[in-house]
Amino acid sequence: MEYVLTQFAATESATEGGIFGALGIDITMLVLQAIAFLILVVLLGKFVYPVLIKAVDDRQEKIEEGTKAAIEAEKKADEAKSEVAQLMKQARKEASEIVATAKDEANAAIEKSEQRAKVRAEKIVESAHEQIEKDVIAAKKALHNETIDLVALATEKVVGKTISASADDKVIAAAIKESN
Amino acid sequence: MAVRLSRRKIATYYADQLLAGRADVARELAAYLIDTKRTREATLIIRDVEDALEKRGVMVADVASAFQLSDAAKSAITSFLQAHSSASDVRLRESVDTTLLGGVRINTPSDEFDSTLRKKLAQLKATKV
Repeated sequence: MEYVLTQFAATESATEGGIFGALGIDITMLVLQAIAFLILVVLLGKFVYPVLIKAVDDRQEKIEEGTKAAIEAEKKADEAKSEVAQLMKQARKEASEIVATAKDEANAAIEKSEQRAKVRAEKIVESAHEQIEKDVIAAKKALHNETIDLVALATEKVVGKTISASADDKVIAAAIKESN
Repeated sequence: MAVRLSRRKIATYYADQLLAGRADVARELAAYLIDTKRTREATLIIRDVEDALEKRGVMVADVASAFQLSDAAKSAITSFLQAHSSASDVRLRESVDTTLLGGVRINTPSDEFDSTLRKKLAQLKATKV
């Protein structure tokens, strides 16, 4: 079709003159081109532009929705951030309280353990002292008894070998004198 | 067969006979005990006789020592016994026991006096705990 119009315009420009001719403009061709342009515009306006505009509108709408969602998300993020900060603050506070409580409990437990250990150590020391005292008493008794045995044995041996009749007389006299 | 008498009567009788100076009292007592089949009571009857003698002022004391007693020791023991009893006449029946080590042990019918070293050592051992 374009070929036909071109042929037609070329034919007309060759046959007509005037200002347009002097300027090298083929009026017919110009009119036809204008008509073709209008037709093209109409066609574009009817079939292409609505689709493009719709696509652009959709795109715009999506962008606006995205922007809106982004703003909403940002808002939510801010709220979440604030909430997180609040929770963190609360958590820190609770953690501090827990740590403080744990420290107090640990100190109390340590103090209780120390007290128990002290009492137990005192009992052990006391028991050891008692045992040592008993051992000392037993050792003293054993030493006492052993000394008595040794003294008796030594006395028996020595006296048995050394005492004489005259010495025995003196012993008897002393015993009778003591009893009188 | 002889009449069975109580130990007290026998002791009284023979104590009186001894104080009267009869020398054959021991033989008579032995014959009586054999006749009455009471020889197992001889030791008890002799002790009873000594008791009876003590009541009559004659004390028989068993004196044990590690060595033979000197006259001075005998005299001291006699005086000691007279001072601690009502006996005016004290007779000592001596014996030597070397295990006593020293000192003297006096047994009278009613009392005992032990000052031997053996006894003192026993007392010392008794203090063991």
